[in-house]
Amino acid sequence: MRTAWVVLKRELSSFFVSPLAYVVLTSWLVWNGVVFWVLAEFYSRNAVSSGASNPLSGFFGGSALFFIPLLVFVPVLTMRLVAGEKQSGTLETLMTAPVSEASVILGKYGAGLVMWCTLWLPTLVYAWIMSQHGSVDWGAIEASYFGIFFLGAYFMAIGLLMSVLAPTQIIAAVLSFVTIGVLFTIGIGEFVLDGVAREVCAYLSMWGHMQSFSKGVVDTRYLVFDLSVAVLAVGLSIGALKARRAG
Amino acid sequence: MIGVEALTRGYGSRIAVDNVSFRVEPGEIVGFLGPNGAGKTTTLRMLTGYLAPTSGDIRIDGIDAVTHSIRARERLGYMAEGVPLYSDMRVHEYLRHRGALKRVPNLAEAVDLSLDLAGVADARTRILGQLSKGYRQRVGLADALIADPPILILDEPTSGLDPNQVRQFRELVRGFRGKKTVLLSTHILSEVEAVCDRVIIIREGKKVADLAPGDSEKSLEDVFAELTTTAATGDPS
Ligand SMILES: Nc1ncnc2c1ncn2[C@@H]1O[C@H](COP(=O)(O)OP(=O)(O)O)[C@@H](O)[C@H]1O
Ligand SMILES: [Mg+2]
Repeated sequence: MRTAWVVLKRELSSFFVSPLAYVVLTSWLVWNGVVFWVLAEFYSRNAVSSGASNPLSGFFGGSALFFIPLLVFVPVLTMRLVAGEKQSGTLETLMTAPVSEASVILGKYGAGLVMWCTLWLPTLVYAWIMSQHGSVDWGAIEASYFGIFFLGAYFMAIGLLMSVLAPTQIIAAVLSFVTIGVLFTIGIGEFVLDGVAREVCAYLSMWGHMQSFSKGVVDTRYLVFDLSVAVLAVGLSIGALKARRAG
Repeated sequence: MIGVEALTRGYGSRIAVDNVSFRVEPGEIVGFLGPNGAGKTTTLRMLTGYLAPTSGDIRIDGIDAVTHSIRARERLGYMAEGVPLYSDMRVHEYLRHRGALKRVPNLAEAVDLSLDLAGVADARTRILGQLSKGYRQRVGLADALIADPPILILDEPTSGLDPNQVRQFRELVRGFRGKKTVLLSTHILSEVEAVCDRVIIIREGKKVADLAPGDSEKSLEDVFAELTTTAATGDPS
């Protein structure tokens, strides 16, 4: 597992010296800054609102604005992980070193999780801003970040798997965009269908997921779901990287 | 020691390496010669564990490289064709990274030593993406040498180098005689004559000759020309 750490370190240092990192982080902050501002305006004008009860829970779970950027940023962050090495040919030098597929994948996945947390860290400022202008439910904020971390474990694992399967970065990005988009849309079925189908959709729903966390409710069913998908996708990534040798 | 027995590899239904067997003894420098598309890279990729054989047996220092791939890879230094590198890293950072992956003890020392051996010490802080072909090649060699492996596998190590760099490279490889087991692929005959103790020639995935320069009545050049032109014309003569 020491080699997983070596892989993780290289992945992160290469990410943080790339122009991509700065484009991603800047546009992410601009996007979320605008979203947060719009929500703050909305709640200050409509004291009694529907759904979420304050701008922060609105920010973390009340709106599709939370998910739209993720559909873009998750693919962009994960596409390079393995497909980038296929394209540059460095996968050959990497996989002919005495390293196991599992440690390479875990290193890449760990790097993906660190990138995810880097995206979210600056948003703590919003909580601070809110606390300067009124009372803030810190329990709900903790639950929100907890939920975001698990959601990231799930999304980044899917992006990683697509990056292992795809021959190029662009194809990896398209595949994870479509996969996450489809999963998100299935979740909307919660509001459309009834019966068992509705239950299934509710279980898969990222929206319901973040809505519950943003109100401070830590629903273990969502955690189980996130972790199961993450473990499955990381396991499949290891398997797919092994299968490549025979392919 | 490298031992290969009935090695076969297909891509889909196409056979790229067909029932190839050979041995490279400890301390020997062997050339793996063949025209482009003969199956050299495919063979070396199987030796280094990058590709799995369709069938056949590979022994690296007596270790079964198919079932104990990681242990076999610990005995190898490999320079892949075209020397893929992380273009955003600096030379010494790259070698540090590679040494750490290979679990090299005394990493700082090993990096310096491999830089010296491969003749890239003067470029240690340069960015890989900005290096000339000759320097890239030497960084690839430094990587292959960093863990001081007993076996070196080099895929077309001199392609793209200018004559002066080729000469330097050959001298370096000659220096490994008796110390390391070396298998180097090339499609250039003079390369083999200049540095190798023995040559294995493959064509269309099949081994067609295994001889020492001077073994044969005819010159190596004639043998190679004969073997490769019959390949080109498709005349089995
Ligand atoms: N990834 C691949 N997929 C399909 N065919 C391949 C692949 N790599 C090599 N080949 C084919 O296998 C044959 C041997 O290629 P290669 O081992 O690269 O030869 P060499 O290194 O001697 O030039 C060639 O006909 C080549 O087109
Ligand atoms: Mg080749």
